[in-house]
Amino acid sequence: MDLIHPHSAHDVQEALRECAASRRRVLIVGGRQHLDKGNPTEVDAELWTTLMDQVIAYDPAEMLAVVEAGMRLRDLREVLAHGGQEWPLDEPGDATVGGVIAAGVEPIRRLRVGSMRDTVVEMDAVLGDGRRITSGARVVKNVSGFDVHRLLTGSLGTLGVITQVALKVRPLPKAAVTLITREGGLALGRRLLDALWQPAAILAEPGRVLVRLEGWPSEIAEQAATVRALAACEEAADGTFADLPFPDAPILAEVGVVSSRLDQVLQGVGSYRALMSVGTTWVPCSTDEELSLLRARVAEAGGVAPVVRGSGGLGDTPLPAGELHLRIETTLDPASVLAPNRAWAG
Amino acid sequence: MADLDAVRRDLERALGSDAVSADPLTRRLYARDASLIEGDAGLVVFPADAGQVVAAMTIAAQHGVAVVPRGSGTGLTGASTPLDDAVVIVTSKMNRILEIRAEDRLAWVEPGVFNLDLTTALEGTGFHYAPDPSSQQVSSIGGNVNTNAGGPHCLAYGVTSAHVLALDLVLPDGSLVRLGAEGPSAPGYDLRGFVVGSEGTLGVVTAVCVRLTPNPPAVRTMLLDFADVEDCARTVSAIVARGVVPAAMEMMDRGIVRAVEAFAHAGYPTDAAAVLLVEVDGSEAAVDAQATEVEAAARSNGVGTVRIAATEAERALLWKGRKAAFGAIARIAPHYHLHDCVVPRTKLAPILAGVYAIAKRHELIVTNVFHAGDGNLHPLFSFDRSVPGTLERALAAADELVRLCIDAGGSLSGEHGIGLEKRDFMPLVFSEESLSVQACLREAFDPNGRMNPSKVLPDGARCGEFAAAVIGRDGAIPEGTWI
Repeated sequence: MDLIHPHSAHDVQEALRECAASRRRVLIVGGRQHLDKGNPTEVDAELWTTLMDQVIAYDPAEMLAVVEAGMRLRDLREVLAHGGQEWPLDEPGDATVGGVIAAGVEPIRRLRVGSMRDTVVEMDAVLGDGRRITSGARVVKNVSGFDVHRLLTGSLGTLGVITQVALKVRPLPKAAVTLITREGGLALGRRLLDALWQPAAILAEPGRVLVRLEGWPSEIAEQAATVRALAACEEAADGTFADLPFPDAPILAEVGVVSSRLDQVLQGVGSYRALMSVGTTWVPCSTDEELSLLRARVAEAGGVAPVVRGSGGLGDTPLPAGELHLRIETTLDPASVLAPNRAWAG
Repeated sequence: MADLDAVRRDLERALGSDAVSADPLTRRLYARDASLIEGDAGLVVFPADAGQVVAAMTIAAQHGVAVVPRGSGTGLTGASTPLDDAVVIVTSKMNRILEIRAEDRLAWVEPGVFNLDLTTALEGTGFHYAPDPSSQQVSSIGGNVNTNAGGPHCLAYGVTSAHVLALDLVLPDGSLVRLGAEGPSAPGYDLRGFVVGSEGTLGVVTAVCVRLTPNPPAVRTMLLDFADVEDCARTVSAIVARGVVPAAMEMMDRGIVRAVEAFAHAGYPTDAAAVLLVEVDGSEAAVDAQATEVEAAARSNGVGTVRIAATEAERALLWKGRKAAFGAIARIAPHYHLHDCVVPRTKLAPILAGVYAIAKRHELIVTNVFHAGDGNLHPLFSFDRSVPGTLERALAAADELVRLCIDAGGSLSGEHGIGLEKRDFMPLVFSEESLSVQACLREAFDPNGRMNPSKVLPDGARCGEFAAAVIGRDGAIPEGTWI
């Protein structure tokens, strides 16, 4: 396996031009935290983005941070904390900004902080044949032209190398608490959801519910009292809600269905962690058969269940507008050198 | 050139003769949107449902004619202005709310549903649809999707794109695809995100699945007035610096306040240089905490009075003043040109000074009412075009304004889009390579270039002959263009 370790977007351009010309297939690698997501791909080289890790511009008053895509989340957190702000992704510190964006990872605190996709306001990228583009604008609100960055976000490194992004950041919460109830289940999760205004996250498991509250100190006190009135609970360590659950399971599927179908999908499932209201639910599987059974139920409910840890890929969900996807892929990566077959297939 | 009579006959056969119009008055009505640019509609089609859109698009494809989708026609950039006898597909008859599912926090609506009608339909559910463009009484959800519309409350809640979960799109070849998903993740590339804001250039949206937002338990609306415009602009940054992201933060200058007061009687102070309308929401405790910070930020930046709406009626009145702004400007002069650009929030004060200087230089009346929290300016030049030379001055001012915003690190548009009005400015912000990639992606959806041609991108395929129809370029008004 060859290694390409560029220092700059220009280096990336040169490398990809060469790869496209010689049909050398490339896997784009950031912090290696989300590589399991995606279908199996065979490549000849890895392109590491981690040397492109500089802050380009950051002014807290603009609530925007422009950084190179190889920057680790750990470093970004430190930079933003000086401005009293955060990019609200709770992924491991080793993960890179570009890796999180390319993998389409959504914040666990999505109910309160919104979608990761809406935080990426500008993107510099190098396409599969070395063309270098900018999309979006370095302001918090923009409608100018076609948002190519929307396509690269969540593309699993199959359309281009993200080299730099402008991120919409937000104030760090003034106060936060994680509460864990002594009982669990989706029904309790729903009761908590109905009782709270914009909780950061409500994660229901069969035996407990993790409630993450963030906001102003008086607001947190008020909301924590509401939780306590509904269910006996105790306070947990700060980051408890953020780690990917079921670390010992060989396969972890990330189910995505609408909330009203969760009960149906999770019937008979012994372990799960469901992000209430959002519908994203992590389910551990010990075998491929278990995963297949789960996926069959998810498909019935109109959802998807990509694997985020272990093997199993994205699943065989039919892809709407398959031909359009193919044309887009051919447009941005004409030589098909970027992680062939890794993305959703039609 | 396609035979429009043959297209009309096929459309009438498929959709019924009521759904197709070729009469001169109708064609004239649909030859423009709310911008200053007028084009030519060949035929106007009023489909009743997605099936009829599929039929119309298939027929257009068979005849090789261009199609321009249109919602309520409130767009401000000429994005739904048909050129060269294109077929206009008007979605206003597709105005049913198909489904409201509070448990899943979503609703399916047809594109012709008015933004405000959706909000009204949601009353009593505990949810609302967050994007609230000032045009919301008459603008359609389909149009909002195509411009990625904003609005005052997008500061905290995000623009339209953050509230569209999925959409049905009829592609130029007549095929119907569903993009995005009701659930939290959709398979494939984010085509939904690419289509939102694409100004009708990729297909016709026939249904939209929108996200519903829970109503905040408490809301507080405050009106801050300032003797100095710069103090007002600085307060915006100071509020953000205190870690507060208000639900809305709207700035109005003296000119617009006076026009509004005479019209809406909202009790705005007409002697202030500028006012800031700030709304915070959340739990009671959060509202208290945020309001305290907002007031402190304003006090340290020379605020005059801080008025807090004591009742729901007073709150409604304060908002009436803001939302009636564009209705009020007719009192200033008979014609206006409304602009839209975004600048870094910290540069609001110098940019406003620049806006006033441009107006003075071109002897125009300028008023400002805008989304200050987003840095999204809406300078409005008022004039009487019957006075010779005035229109030319307004267009020259528009050109300077765009360059002022771009030079400050801003963007061409925050929420109105590019359309025809700004497409020739695109090279100011994008490299040739970036623009060519955008054009290629557009072609992936529309290989024959029939979908709202000539819009958004400069000098694209088959749009060369219309390059002159863009106002703003050198301030020239092309011959034959109605302004």
